[in-house]
Amino acid sequence: MEEVEKCVNCGFCESVCPTFPASGYISSFGARGRVDLGKYLIKESLKKNPVDLNIADSFYSCLSCNACVVVCPAGVNAGKVSLIARKVITEGNYVSRSNEQPVAKMIVNSIMKYYNPLGLRKKCSKWAKDLEFDSRSETILYTGNMFQLMPYSKSLASIKKKVGKRNTDRFARLLASWPLLIKLASNLYDRDLAIRMEKSLKGIVMLLKKSGVSFGYLREDEPYPGTFLFELGYEQEFREYANKVYGMFKSRGIKQVITVDPHTYDIMKNEYPKVIKEFNIKVLHYLELVKTDIFRKTEETITYHEPCHFSRSETPFNSPVELLANLSDLRMPAFNGRATYCCGGPDDLIYTDLANSVSDARSEQLRATGASKVITSCPICFTNLNKYSSVAELSEFLEGLLI
Amino acid sequence: MKIVSELEKISPGNVLTSKENKIPYLRDASYYTGEFPAAVVIPRNTSELSRIMKFCYENDVQVVLRGGGSSLTGSSIPNEECILLSLSRFDKIIEVRVDDNYVIAEAGVRLDFLNDELSKFNYFYPPDPASSRVSTVGGTLATNAGGLHGVMYGVTKNWVLGMEVVLPNGEIVQLGGPTLKRSMGYDLAALMIGSEGTLGIITKAILRILPKPECSGRILAYYRLIEDAGKAVSELKNKGIIPLMAEFLDRISMDSIKQVKDIDYPQGSEYMLLVDIASSVESLSRHLELAAEILRKFDPVNVRITTDAKEMQKMYDARKGLYSSILSQRNSKSDYVIIGDVVVPSSETAGTLKDIQKSIEKHNLQVALFGHIGDGNIHTNIFADVENNEKMVVVEDFQNEVGMIAVKHRGSVSAEHGIGLEKKGLLLREFQQRHTEGTLEVMKIIKNCVDPKNILNRGKMFDL
Ligand SMILES: Cc1cc2nc3c(=O)[nH]c(=O)nc-3n(C[C@H](O)[C@H](O)[C@H](O)COP(=O)(O)OP(=O)(O)OC[C@H]3O[C@@H](n4cnc5c(N)ncnc54)[C@H](O)[C@@H]3O)c2cc1C
Ligand code: SF4
Ligand code: SF4
Repeated sequence: MEEVEKCVNCGFCESVCPTFPASGYISSFGARGRVDLGKYLIKESLKKNPVDLNIADSFYSCLSCNACVVVCPAGVNAGKVSLIARKVITEGNYVSRSNEQPVAKMIVNSIMKYYNPLGLRKKCSKWAKDLEFDSRSETILYTGNMFQLMPYSKSLASIKKKVGKRNTDRFARLLASWPLLIKLASNLYDRDLAIRMEKSLKGIVMLLKKSGVSFGYLREDEPYPGTFLFELGYEQEFREYANKVYGMFKSRGIKQVITVDPHTYDIMKNEYPKVIKEFNIKVLHYLELVKTDIFRKTEETITYHEPCHFSRSETPFNSPVELLANLSDLRMPAFNGRATYCCGGPDDLIYTDLANSVSDARSEQLRATGASKVITSCPICFTNLNKYSSVAELSEFLEGLLI
Repeated sequence: MKIVSELEKISPGNVLTSKENKIPYLRDASYYTGEFPAAVVIPRNTSELSRIMKFCYENDVQVVLRGGGSSLTGSSIPNEECILLSLSRFDKIIEVRVDDNYVIAEAGVRLDFLNDELSKFNYFYPPDPASSRVSTVGGTLATNAGGLHGVMYGVTKNWVLGMEVVLPNGEIVQLGGPTLKRSMGYDLAALMIGSEGTLGIITKAILRILPKPECSGRILAYYRLIEDAGKAVSELKNKGIIPLMAEFLDRISMDSIKQVKDIDYPQGSEYMLLVDIASSVESLSRHLELAAEILRKFDPVNVRITTDAKEMQKMYDARKGLYSSILSQRNSKSDYVIIGDVVVPSSETAGTLKDIQKSIEKHNLQVALFGHIGDGNIHTNIFADVENNEKMVVVEDFQNEVGMIAVKHRGSVSAEHGIGLEKKGLLLREFQQRHTEGTLEVMKIIKNCVDPKNILNRGKMFDL
């Protein structure tokens, strides 16, 4: 209620919301439209017989990219409105639970049961089977399974495209009621992408080791951080889950985690402390530990796609821009810094067409810089932008510059 | 429904009919809420739009147009008998001709987007409403938008060379053209400016552009008395200094930007002036100092110069978002902001502001004042619960009185936001006060000729 009642409907947020143009300019898929629907929902909820609105697509398609909140003069966060609305939907309070996204429900069930959105924790540790870590260290490398999951989600999204939305939803409903079936998903796998993702993770390990950092890795015990639960509005589940993950870390004496992607970084740094009493694990991004004098400079012209969860995080993380500007001829795209443009990735699994349209728009902005290479520092951004130009993951690029 | 299925045939996949898809189109940025239209249509191009209009004309279907939906007078909200046409997909900049000083842009292009593109050529399109992030070429032409640079560059009508328009019957016409001069009968392009979607649909426009000023700096001047601020700006002009921008904010407005943007103000200040001076690199500081010297003569609390780009941008963004952020200053949670918009000749600003202050006290309302003081444009932002009828009667009376204060000072009841639903009564009163009711009759005759079935934005601006 408080979030939407400050809104005067000026439309500033709509002008930067990536899903608005991507939807063909349908207002209910834009930031202002989401806030308007939120207001309507509140009004209806006060009535005896509220109208059952079909609002799921509007709120679930929000990318949680926070572009809207940066420009809202009244400080309204349309992304947060979507989060709250999803929560309302998942709790089935004001609108019928039929609005609950079946694919979302499936993933939630899996996370709660297997500590992994697709029930694939073992497979997610395979990349490191030949690597050695310091098992006694109080610092761990925490991948959050994000790089490892990308090859699966890409396959799921392409299957979804083939079978159409209705069939995927049916499939998802079936899986949701029987989480074991989720493991079937392990057959859906994009091999080329898996190779790139493994390479990135190994690159990160290499950069840290070259910088003299010693750390452990939980291998197949490593849990997913619960980002999906948070972003899909499963507040209660997220709280419960985050506490379980934290308890697991604490029981192993872990004092510091080195994250490798913006989503895990942002959620651990900014959301865990809100739901965990006396949270006292230090959250770092690997670049904070990597020394800068281990790289040579290059004349290559590159552009860097800043992830939303770095640039617009409560604790913005800009080290990649600074490092890349030092090492190369860096040309930033038109939308950069706090105004960075989402890659569309968060919509890839559920709203694939929308995600494609957002990533087309972003790719065009990156292409317009004239750079020969696009650098990303997030596995989701990499996967979503990799379709068009020459895209490299940050660690892959940096590894190539090691002296 | 026949209308919907026919529209779907003309513009397949672009017709929205579900309740949840229509909800966001019920409101613009004013306090009015419209009714559910029969459908929302988002056509792809002019020929599709023309066929839609032909169908609507033949079948007596009303049409309401929407650009950025940032109108402050309810001029873009739908009624239940209309279809709402969104121009959002007309989002392309077609041609930038720096050599001929014009740009051709489609109607749905937002002004900030246009200026981002022009800045690649070191050019810009001067009309700069505070809503430039969201308002569109079509919407700003249709309301003759003004803005923060009005004092130096005037309003939208000064920058339009020509346009393509779809008439109510679906016919496509070209008005004006890309030359700076053109004397060929009635200036129909001018007629479309300020027509608020009642005469035709602008699909693209040819707009004049200018090279960007070499550089600019800002003077922040704070005063205790509104008359002093008003006189200070008049004196600038008397001395031949035309600012690039001259805005004023009252204390509620200053408190609002303090709260949301952490921009503080010196103690004792009741009013603030933001005065931008454009100049060359060599002479900027001299010109700023000259202007500051004049502003210092009117008993200010403080006068300060800044050329720090970051600080200037932060302040500029805060001013542009003021209408949206000012709600944070309301006394009661049920209050909303109703923004007024009057204009007087610049030399009358101080006297007008004084009269408005008296009217605020008389009506016992919480009102924030800010505006484009350089061109005599004052916005009264009234805090009121729009669902409280008693209160709204007081608000209406206040609005009427302020309108008449402006007319008394040789001004007008509407400076830049247009008439829409909100000022239909005031429009008539202004003409009556000025003994020129015939002007309104001419407008009605024109409307009747161009849109004999009255299908475009019926009931906005005036009733037939
Ligand atoms: C925060 C804020 C600040 C503002 N500041 C200013 C300011 O400084 N100066 C100022 O002048 N205004 C200001 N406004 C008011 C508003 O932005 C302007 O009136 C603007 O011109 C509306 O443009 P739009 O594209 O949003 O049009 P809309 O609101 O969509 O429509 C406005 C009118 O134009 C008609 N219309 C829209 N598109 C077309 C078209 N293609 N062809 C024909 N008719 C069309 C509509 O039917 C309607 O009657 C502000 C508004 C807000 C919310
Ligand atoms: S920018 Fe803020 S105030 Fe404006 S419409 Fe969006 S949420 Fe509302
Ligand atoms: S968070 Fe991103 S996608 Fe969601 S409403 Fe805001 S700008 Fe749009």
